[in-house]
Amino acid sequence: MNYRIVTNNPSVKEVYKDIIFVNGTFLDVLINVRDLVHKGHELISHPLGSSIRTMYSPYRSIIVRNKTNEINKDHIEVIENSIYSYKNTMQRRKPDAVNSKDYAMLDLNLLKSALDEFKSIYDY
Amino acid sequence: MKLELGRIYIKDIQFGNKTHVNNGTLIVNSQELIDKLKEDERVKDVKVDIARPGEKVRIIPVKDVIEPRVKIEGKGHGFAGVTSKTEQLGEGKVNVLYGAAVVTVGDIVGFQEGVIDMWGEGAKWTPFSKTCNLVVDITPIEGLQPHNHEAAVRIAGLKAAEYLGEAGRNVEPEEVLTYEIGTHTEEEAKYPDLPKVAYVEMLISQGLLHDGYIYGVNSQNILPTLLHPNEELDNAVISGNCVAACDKITTYQHQNNSVILDLYAQHGKTINFMGVILTPELTTLEGKFRTCDYTVKLCKMLGVDGVIISEEGYGNPDSDLLMICKRLEKENIKTVLITDECSGWDGMSQPLADTAKEAVAVVSTGNVSHVVTLPPADKVVGNAAAIATLAGGWEGSLEADGTIKCELNAVIGATSEIGYHNCTVNLY
Repeated sequence: MNYRIVTNNPSVKEVYKDIIFVNGTFLDVLINVRDLVHKGHELISHPLGSSIRTMYSPYRSIIVRNKTNEINKDHIEVIENSIYSYKNTMQRRKPDAVNSKDYAMLDLNLLKSALDEFKSIYDY
Repeated sequence: MKLELGRIYIKDIQFGNKTHVNNGTLIVNSQELIDKLKEDERVKDVKVDIARPGEKVRIIPVKDVIEPRVKIEGKGHGFAGVTSKTEQLGEGKVNVLYGAAVVTVGDIVGFQEGVIDMWGEGAKWTPFSKTCNLVVDITPIEGLQPHNHEAAVRIAGLKAAEYLGEAGRNVEPEEVLTYEIGTHTEEEAKYPDLPKVAYVEMLISQGLLHDGYIYGVNSQNILPTLLHPNEELDNAVISGNCVAACDKITTYQHQNNSVILDLYAQHGKTINFMGVILTPELTTLEGKFRTCDYTVKLCKMLGVDGVIISEEGYGNPDSDLLMICKRLEKENIKTVLITDECSGWDGMSQPLADTAKEAVAVVSTGNVSHVVTLPPADKVVGNAAAIATLAGGWEGSLEADGTIKCELNAVIGATSEIGYHNCTVNLY
């Protein structure tokens, strides 16, 4: 397996084995991924979702490639921009805890889609 | 390709015994419509209601908006490839119930928002406060998986629009708009001196509640593809996402894509409009690189001088938008980007999740974080509990009298990134 899923979503933990589980928030997942990218992991999926509502999610799962010896500066820019953007969007908002069950389900489904997209090219 | 859109002006909707158009009023036999939609075994119950401009009615949570139409000449019935057999779209005559809309409501997930206020402050922010809306509220059978639930609501909306559209089959339209562009060779011979311009329309293509469809094909599974603009104006593109309320492109907005209509208006005058490239916004970075490269390749093959690029959604699609821009500018193809901004309550923050020095011509379609105050409605169509979701998120957002403070991102089509609305951002 040439990838890991960084996640704070308990539903993902139940389904996938190749994970780095983060006991924390969406932002903690982003920071964890940032640290990995600085150490030589590349991003496979984009750190952010594609709608504002997905920013309010308490859960996030991001796929990273296993560590290499090279640091990808473009990916550092993507994750740093994503953290800025997340903080910017959440200025006065709190994660939507009321709907956390639905968010966990959505995050798991979007992760599955991302893995399908990725596997069709790389799972050799 | 030549497409004629005949507009039958609809000024009111009422329920009655027979579905037909009577002097600008669309009469709907609600039971017949309900029976038709319940033919889908995934649908347990259907409620239909009417919301007219000016009424103190709030519709929530909206999934999609669709314009009712009927093809009276040429191929393709309803939504080809989805509600009927696939056909090549883009040619023939279509009668449009102009001023009417089907609005689908369905609580697929608890955090879904998407509000249409038909009156007052809220009405200012959404174009669908000005249409006579037939609201279709779908309750699915128990235990239906979310993606099947989404599909059931999506298909029900399209079927309802097709059913209502039939009422216009034998009505003489008040106005006929003709859209015709020939082959590239023909148009280049006609306008050898005009700059060639393509339109790149980006579609959210990321999975559950974040999909778009072209002839019924999920755009997640395609490479960027070239369409004649008439195909999109003729029901080829369908919305399957319902999480990004403010900047999702509804099916109605695809049917009436303002960028396509504006480029058509300039075709043969200031530009030679070369077509529409639909580009999926994927989740993986490799996927993004592939679709962006492929989009640029299509633009180069067309030999265009300029490209208009519109985004859908916010967050990771910002990367695609700027990647396409950077790559095109590097090839000396000029770009204009259309996007909304997420620049905080005061409008002062960096508006996109990504930036590029090549993005020098950007049209803003509004700040999604702008706070609006919505007074209580006399009637809520859909699920009143969804208002709590709308109002949730910060203290003081729901006042004692029911007044809500929310950000524009909760309002359907408020900051449409194809410009199908009236909002922009001023620099001070």
